[in-house]
Amino acid sequence: MSAGDPRPADFRRSVKVEQIMGTAVSIHVITAAESVAGESVAAAMGRVGARLHQVDRVCSPFLESSDICRIARGDLGLADADPMIAEIHRECLDARARTGGLFDPWWKGWFDPTGIVKGWAVERVVEQELAPLLEIRDVAAVGVNAGGDMQLLTAEDSPWVWEVGIVDPNDPRQMAARLSVTSGAIATSGIAERGDHIIDPRTGGAAHGIASSTVVADRLTEADLWATTAMIAGFDDLDWIATAGTRAGLLIASDGRVRRWSGGTRILADGAGLERFGRLPQAASA
Amino acid sequence: MKRIAYASLAALSGVVLLVSYRASISSALSSSPGTATASSPQTTSSASGNVDPGVSAESATTSCSGLVDGTYQGQSVSTRYGDVQVQIVVENGTITAADAITYPSENSRDQQINSDAIPKLTSETLSAQSAQIDMISGATYTSRGYLESLQSALDQAQCG
Repeated sequence: MSAGDPRPADFRRSVKVEQIMGTAVSIHVITAAESVAGESVAAAMGRVGARLHQVDRVCSPFLESSDICRIARGDLGLADADPMIAEIHRECLDARARTGGLFDPWWKGWFDPTGIVKGWAVERVVEQELAPLLEIRDVAAVGVNAGGDMQLLTAEDSPWVWEVGIVDPNDPRQMAARLSVTSGAIATSGIAERGDHIIDPRTGGAAHGIASSTVVADRLTEADLWATTAMIAGFDDLDWIATAGTRAGLLIASDGRVRRWSGGTRILADGAGLERFGRLPQAASA
Repeated sequence: MKRIAYASLAALSGVVLLVSYRASISSALSSSPGTATASSPQTTSSASGNVDPGVSAESATTSCSGLVDGTYQGQSVSTRYGDVQVQIVVENGTITAADAITYPSENSRDQQINSDAIPKLTSETLSAQSAQIDMISGATYTSRGYLESLQSALDQAQCG
């Protein structure tokens, strides 16, 4: 820890990186420097990786043998699929209703929950495999970051705080913002790394206008859902923020404009209600 | 039991207002934030003129090498519903209390301001190797992209 960091230096971090769901998953456990919990920690981190691989085998739209592909082909009924499909199906129905159809796993004509699976799976394994570690005295915090979307937990009596950097979508080697989280989820959706892969179900065309949207919520399924929805709603439609129940968020437009909010309250920075991130070039990639 | 522990954690420990704490400390300790040096990875240069004073305060410089005991009041920040000002107490170098001392209204959603962090804008090149950043959030990176990503650098730096 460098000077100025309020966190005590006597923490040890265990990190495991797995390639799952087409991205890199970083599993972090923070313990006391002299922790004796190593074995439990290592075992739990191993289970996180194994369970995420299992979710990928069942839910991947790219594996012909996955339950999702078999359901899409008509080879498998929802009721006969892996039990996790029923849970994900419920999450999807709920998400579609609450976003007023902006998030719609059925827009292509079949059930494709890819937009929700990763966040849901990470949230679930953190809750079920890593959260129990916090009952061990030496363990301060646990977290999983799957390709930029993360679920973080900190023991109630620990001084640990997760410091999270938000990548500048117009220059991924730099950070546009940072925030501090004890427990919660952060998801960022954007077009920077994979191009126009988010489709507006209302038009069938690519969502555009926002370079990246970051949402902070209690659960990663929620943060992920609303980060994606924000991309589709666009920079000027912020109505969803009032009812979404997210904790905070940040939108960065392709032209460098910035909007932030906290709870249901938008943070106004000037008369026009827009913030402008000074360093970003104008119309960088409109 | 485990489920209960998880639920209570999620409920009790919200996103903390450390982003504002730092700005508060900075404005309390330095009368001219814009003149501080840019040597610390956490230090941000002063915001450009098209950002309002409230936001400038948030991205003000922080060059102190540790927290100094005392009570500090942050600069008032305007929101749509009114001003928010935060007060913190530092004891033994650790923040022990934080409260919003100016509150917008009795509107229930404004209550969330007390427990919600506002992403703090940075206007400088922030080193990915900075030990002060634990995790990186950005548009989903592919496995290949990850090799060059900030998180990769962090994972290496942190595991030395």
